[in-house]
Amino acid sequence: MYRNAPKSVSDPSSNPLDDICPVCKSNRYLNPSLQFLINPECYHKMCSTCVDRIFTSGPSSCPVPHCGRTLRKKGFRKAFFTDLHVEREVDIRKRVSEVFNRRQDEFETLLDWNNYLEEVESLVFDLVEGSAAEKTRAEERLREYRDAYREEIEGNKRVGKEEVEGERRRERAEKEGARARRLAMAREVEEEKADVEKGKRDLLERLANSDGNANAITRQAQKVILKKSSARRNITEEVLASNGSANSGLTIRGLKKKVAPVEEKPYDPFGGVNITPARFTVQESYDNEWLGNAKKDTRHMAGGYSLQEYYARTMFEAFSGLGVFIEEEVADRGQKGDPSIGTAAAAEASGGKINIGHKMEIDDVF
Amino acid sequence: MAPSSVSEDERYRTSTQYRLWSFTPTSLLELRTTTNRNAANRVRDAVRRVREARAATSSGNTSEADGGNSRAVSAVPEGEVDCLSVEEELKLVTHFCRQTLQLGDHLQVPTDVKATAVQYIKRFYITNSCMTYDPKTLLKTALFFATKTENHYFRLTKFAEAITATKPEEILASEFLLTQGLRFTFDVRHPFRALEGAVMELQAMANGQTPSVGDKLRGMSRRVKEAHGKAREYLKTSALLTDVYFHYTPSQIMMASLLIADRQLISLYLGSKLPPGSANSAISAKLMEALDKCAEMLQSMDPGNEQSIAEKKELGALAKKLRKCRNPEKIDLVSLQRAKREGDGEDDERVVKKRKLEREQSAKEGHDLFGPTIQK
Repeated sequence: MYRNAPKSVSDPSSNPLDDICPVCKSNRYLNPSLQFLINPECYHKMCSTCVDRIFTSGPSSCPVPHCGRTLRKKGFRKAFFTDLHVEREVDIRKRVSEVFNRRQDEFETLLDWNNYLEEVESLVFDLVEGSAAEKTRAEERLREYRDAYREEIEGNKRVGKEEVEGERRRERAEKEGARARRLAMAREVEEEKADVEKGKRDLLERLANSDGNANAITRQAQKVILKKSSARRNITEEVLASNGSANSGLTIRGLKKKVAPVEEKPYDPFGGVNITPARFTVQESYDNEWLGNAKKDTRHMAGGYSLQEYYARTMFEAFSGLGVFIEEEVADRGQKGDPSIGTAAAAEASGGKINIGHKMEIDDVF
Repeated sequence: MAPSSVSEDERYRTSTQYRLWSFTPTSLLELRTTTNRNAANRVRDAVRRVREARAATSSGNTSEADGGNSRAVSAVPEGEVDCLSVEEELKLVTHFCRQTLQLGDHLQVPTDVKATAVQYIKRFYITNSCMTYDPKTLLKTALFFATKTENHYFRLTKFAEAITATKPEEILASEFLLTQGLRFTFDVRHPFRALEGAVMELQAMANGQTPSVGDKLRGMSRRVKEAHGKAREYLKTSALLTDVYFHYTPSQIMMASLLIADRQLISLYLGSKLPPGSANSAISAKLMEALDKCAEMLQSMDPGNEQSIAEKKELGALAKKLRKCRNPEKIDLVSLQRAKREGDGEDDERVVKKRKLEREQSAKEGHDLFGPTIQK
């Protein structure tokens, strides 16, 4: 009663009808255990007493005037929604979705999927809100579809069930895992406490029995305790790590399955070109009075500076171009290049431009 | 992809120093001759123009001659212009390179900066003439540029202050000019680090750290040290003041300087690097020939030699001669730069005005039923 009170305030018009059985007119005020039932055949509500009274002896017609549908007791149930229109629509939707249970991945394009959804929705609308003719037409379509695609519907149903099942299993496993972790943690804390206790007891005993330096003994005992606890921590970390690789404790639902990417090779800035020097090999270390400081100084090393880089660069520069004979190579270039060398007339003709040498064309700045 | 091997030489061939700034002696001379001839022609033309303008002003016909050139007009000497020859220009450039080194010493910049600045000047005066652009102002710009490219920060105002009678604008005026003269390549490959590398390995050989070398000389360690010092002197002066950078690679220049310092040592070293074989013997013979030539060139300007009095006198005369044959239109770079900038400003104004007109037009058409015409 109290539960219904606020509802009656929010919706006063439906209030008196909510509490009175339309068949026997018994009132909730007089009978607090009054319970209303409906039958999805016609969605007329009546109290459980009426249902018992009318339908116990077998199927009978609905007692509501002008309805006259034959109802069975088995069909009666409690309404989930107060508004019976909603109740009815939900039932219809359930029925339709059992038949039209296609999944998005069965469609080739998003547009097709959306068209299908729209079709289903208009069917549902016809069933819920349509006129009698529309309703029968929709029912007809529903039946036709069910007959036509019986196997596929069954298949999809199975898949859906499996999915739900899998979801449930995963949830259960997660809960189990969490519980196990909690337990392990608690056990660990217990163990640590016990260890500390034991250590303290040992220490006291030793202090009582030996005549050594009290301070030294205390310090040693402390060290032992620390060592133990750190060892335990290491073990638990290892366990966690191994667990993590097998079945990570935290799973995030709804992730797409990932294909393991092909392992990338380390990036080669030279694009596969081999730049191993031919004329020298860089040694591990060179004696050089100038570099003596740099070798030892942490200020050089801290920034990631490597003397190897310096060695490689100096050695490279010492031999880079040793076999390049400019006199020959450039002379070749001159012959191949444009023939404008020394054509002063051309330079004069081009006005403000000096045109000299191979591609040496310079505009006058000022 | 099969990994292709790229030798040290191939990698040097990718540098701008090889691609743009390497010449044979003949082609270099040819370039300089052409530059000199063009510059001389222009100087004569410019002088003629200035004289005509002056004649016009003195007769009172055009009271407002170009105001910017008034200074230049006064600087024009009388009589026939006596232009510098190629050799004279080259001497002057070398002289100003020396001055750059001294200026670098005065400003206490590292060797790299000085060397780069000198190479900039040398490169610039291949395609430009002293008669057109005064090396005295340009060397400051070159040195300032070198501080930037060699990563030795120097604030412009401080830089200008440290040099007597120099304003920051003066240094900046020829900035683009120099950049263009360098063909926008600022990378200069020096042999200094190469020398360190070679000496490092020689020292390792002396200490018996490298396994591949068989025989070694007596007192090798000491000899390497001496050779190092001497070669460095050559690289710091001779290599910069001569044309070796244009004709040889840094590695060869370095080897040549070491060759001057200690022939026996370097012969042994190169022998170990290029062991006598069928393929190597050709290269090694050619290499020794090239190194000898390079060494000869380096020795032509010995680092110990100071300029003799006769040379100084000659240079003084050349400087005087240069003053007389300067291109009068290019003397005042600062005001030229300013004029150019203002000229650009005018252009901008015109563009702005045009845009504004276009905007107004399209706004007017915007009221039409079908909107404005579509811009291409």
